[in-house]
Amino acid sequence: MAGTFFPQRFASVWDRVLIVDVALAQELFGKVGRLDRIELVPRPGVDEARLAAAARLLVPPDVTVEPPQARAATASRMVRALQFNLTALSGVSLFVGAVLVATTLATSVVQRRGVLALARSLGASRGQIARSLLAEAVAIGALGGALGVAGGVLGARAALASVRSTVAAVVRGVPATEIQLPLWLAAGGLLVGVGVSFLAAILPLAEAVRTPPVQGLVGERPAFLRRPSRRRAAAVASAFAVLAVALARAPAWDDLPVAALLASMALLGVLLTIVSPVLDALARHAAAPFARAAEGTQIRLAIAALAAGRRRASWGAGAVGVAVALAVAIGTMVHSFRATVIDWTNQGMRADVWIRPLAATTGVQVGRLDPEVVQVAERLFGKDVIDPFHTATAYVGTQPITLAGGEFAVVARRGGVTFRDGRDSRTVFAAALEHRAAVVGEPFATRFGVREGDTITLHAADGTLTRKVEAVFYDYSNQQGMVVIDRHDFLRHYPDDGPRELALFLPAGVDPAAARDRLLAALGGRFLVEALLNRELRAEVVAIFDRTFAITRALQAVAAAVAVLAVLTVLFALLGERRRDLALLRALGGTRLQVGGVVAAQAALLGVTGACGGLAVGLAIGFVLVKVVNVQSFGWTLRFLPPWPSLAVTAALVTVACLLAGLAPALAAARMHPAEALREEG
Amino acid sequence: MLRALRLLAIAPLLATAGWETVVAPPALHFPRDHGAHPAFRIEWWYVTGRLTEPGGRWYGFQLTFFRQGLDPGPSVPGESTLRARQVLAAHLAVGDVSSGRTRLAERVRRVAGGLAGASTGDLDLFLENWTMRRTPEGTIVIAASDRGTATDLRLELTPAKPLVLHGEGGLSPKGPAPGTASVYLSWTRLDVRGTLAIDGRAVQAQGHAWFDHEWGTSQLGFDVAGWDWFGLRLADGRDVMLYRLRREDGSAASESAGTLVEPDGSLRHLTAADFKLEAKTWWTSPRTGARYPATFHVTVPLAGLDAEVRPLIPDSELDARGSTGTVYWEGPVAVAGSAPGEGYAELTGYAASMAGRF
Repeated sequence: MAGTFFPQRFASVWDRVLIVDVALAQELFGKVGRLDRIELVPRPGVDEARLAAAARLLVPPDVTVEPPQARAATASRMVRALQFNLTALSGVSLFVGAVLVATTLATSVVQRRGVLALARSLGASRGQIARSLLAEAVAIGALGGALGVAGGVLGARAALASVRSTVAAVVRGVPATEIQLPLWLAAGGLLVGVGVSFLAAILPLAEAVRTPPVQGLVGERPAFLRRPSRRRAAAVASAFAVLAVALARAPAWDDLPVAALLASMALLGVLLTIVSPVLDALARHAAAPFARAAEGTQIRLAIAALAAGRRRASWGAGAVGVAVALAVAIGTMVHSFRATVIDWTNQGMRADVWIRPLAATTGVQVGRLDPEVVQVAERLFGKDVIDPFHTATAYVGTQPITLAGGEFAVVARRGGVTFRDGRDSRTVFAAALEHRAAVVGEPFATRFGVREGDTITLHAADGTLTRKVEAVFYDYSNQQGMVVIDRHDFLRHYPDDGPRELALFLPAGVDPAAARDRLLAALGGRFLVEALLNRELRAEVVAIFDRTFAITRALQAVAAAVAVLAVLTVLFALLGERRRDLALLRALGGTRLQVGGVVAAQAALLGVTGACGGLAVGLAIGFVLVKVVNVQSFGWTLRFLPPWPSLAVTAALVTVACLLAGLAPALAAARMHPAEALREEG
Repeated sequence: MLRALRLLAIAPLLATAGWETVVAPPALHFPRDHGAHPAFRIEWWYVTGRLTEPGGRWYGFQLTFFRQGLDPGPSVPGESTLRARQVLAAHLAVGDVSSGRTRLAERVRRVAGGLAGASTGDLDLFLENWTMRRTPEGTIVIAASDRGTATDLRLELTPAKPLVLHGEGGLSPKGPAPGTASVYLSWTRLDVRGTLAIDGRAVQAQGHAWFDHEWGTSQLGFDVAGWDWFGLRLADGRDVMLYRLRREDGSAASESAGTLVEPDGSLRHLTAADFKLEAKTWWTSPRTGARYPATFHVTVPLAGLDAEVRPLIPDSELDARGSTGTVYWEGPVAVAGSAPGEGYAELTGYAASMAGRF
């Protein structure tokens, strides 16, 4: 070992890199006389384009000369889309957090109405009250930000450990990648926490400052809280809805689904606007059936109480709704994606055995199969059951894409690929073989605006390649775009240095496991390959999928927890505000059970309202995520498949959780001493 | 002399197994022995000199080719054409005495793929477009230029005295153990003419130079920390080469030696007892913090030499960590005292010990 190096960037990749002299590398990899890449570092002030032009004259025609950004750009597109979507989702979580902070502060204001009013009447200025409440908001934000940063680091560590364990299971000695928390990120997290809670404090603050001290002291309902105008709410909600539709139809901005995600935010706006009138309507109409029944008393009282504190209640229901909407939207998106992919693998993965170079389970495939592997397989099973799949990089203009070569004759007999126009895959491949046409993946078609029957021109290694597009197939494996031509066509343009993978379609009655063992025995351990059976590969696809979306599932859990917390804080706030009413109820002969029941009923109503609103809006957002965001980010068309049973369970669970969350305040209400409460208020 | 021997930074510490060592006075055949000796691990060709432009400005220049053997074995069928058995490094330094500036350009390349090469038939070296060749008439032609420092050197050097074989017929012991020695040959005085450029300013110049050629495998005693070397051309026509091998504790090793070359080319070998070097003033590098001797008091009683050797460019520190991995001081000096003259000095092991480096 001559030395160790400490790369500053891309640590996870470079962690496993060993650098040897080019001569040793050529000998080790059997590539004497060949180089993969030559990097030119221009002197300062040298024009890159002119350098590239000069270099082009020096190298053979099949060598690509490109500036380094071109390669990095393609690799980073997918990472950028993923990052953007994750950032957007965490933005929505922040929004939910802000609603929660607003409710908490509202609670705190309500609980101390008397104290604040007393302070005002004793000479405290509005400014002093405002400052103390703002200080409270900042403290909550700072504490939350600090907890969030710490939790984020722990979460990242846990996530990394789970990923690494699967990698390390295959590749021994994969070193640990450090979790790095730059100071600016920690400070940024704190700042976001403080900023969000500061903004959330504005509404409760306005209420606290504007409530006249006398009113606060007598404990009457705030007079300025007018009945919400249903007409105005409907107008605002419609405006939000129209905005959402317009944004969802807008094109991607710089390859990022910015407009579509703003549309999701607008949909949340719809939810928050309609919650208040809906609760109001519930208060009026839902109480009617119970009007005459003696058992209906609690419900009527609960609805009346909710209506009285409707602003608070609408915040609570809004928080529940936003959280449910988030959970539903993510659940719908993941389920649609997963169901589509499973369908696609069931349809498209018909081969019995796949052979590919041994790779770590990082999802990144490297290397090629040795051409000898193909020859061995041909000798064992015959040419007509083997589909070697070659890939190379070609260009549309300057944009790199994947050009692949498959054995069309074999695939035409076996079928299985799903095409966008619904044609049978046997027909498509037979026609493609006959016309020397290409089939292209959906991401390619989306990216370059190509339709069935169009003619495409690619820059391949030995010049341009013009082919008719026979059909567009669904492709969830590749995001930069793939064009598949017949293998024999492909090998006319590229040397046969081995396929990327090899699919084996065995005749009926042949045991795939036995066939795999025969092949591996014939290869005799001379090649580093792995051979997967049909069910193994399909299980692997689903496993990779679930791993990729583990983080979104975690967000779903966070959203549910937020919903419960929101209900809890809102109920305590309502309880504080309605102490006197509840005490009156007790004084008039209401039992502890009845008083507790009133509070619990409030909780259930909040939960139901939030859950139903959240469910509806969540489905709408899920639709936008599936049909707009995914297409714009990855070029993948997914079917909209909401997981109905689990959505119903989610809504029910949230309602139940809200009811359970209501138990604590209900208990507190039941234990309240009526005389004391009334005296205090008097 | 020992000038240099700086082990190439890219070569790890290599065992001497498989390499030939210098144990006896060599049987020399020219021009073959002006060329490379790949059976030995280390070799260099070193030109230093002083040039004057017609207006009177003075310059010091240095062009050195270092050869480092990596593998003494023969090539194997099927191995990479980029597989190198040796590497060449080179230092090009030009100093402007009037402005006190020194510019260093350095290169290192494998001897493979047409990047660098050293002939075994005569002096014929190339490292990309830097070259040092000997013509059939005996003139040495050097050419090297560097864009980054805007330095350029195109010179023809004609020996004014016969070739000097230092030590015993060229055998120059550097340590007590057998084999800890090198073959050391010099042209101590060459007439130079050609063009030189520093910082983009090119001038026609002429002057005198010193040429060293040295090869071996295991050359330094294990406890030697560095050396102080002088190649002086006196105005009376005599040339003096002196080197002191410094141990880690600062004392001089007994293998320190020198050669006195008379105007007619006759030689007198000097042992450690025949001369004295005493540092009178010191200079500290602002870049590396290394402290180098600046002015020396040099006495060689049997040559009647009692002189002060003073650097013409105090800051002649060369940071060659990009090629040979070494930092050393090498620059033109003036001699004043019983016999005036000029020459070059090389001071190594002050920035970091050279011990164990080869």
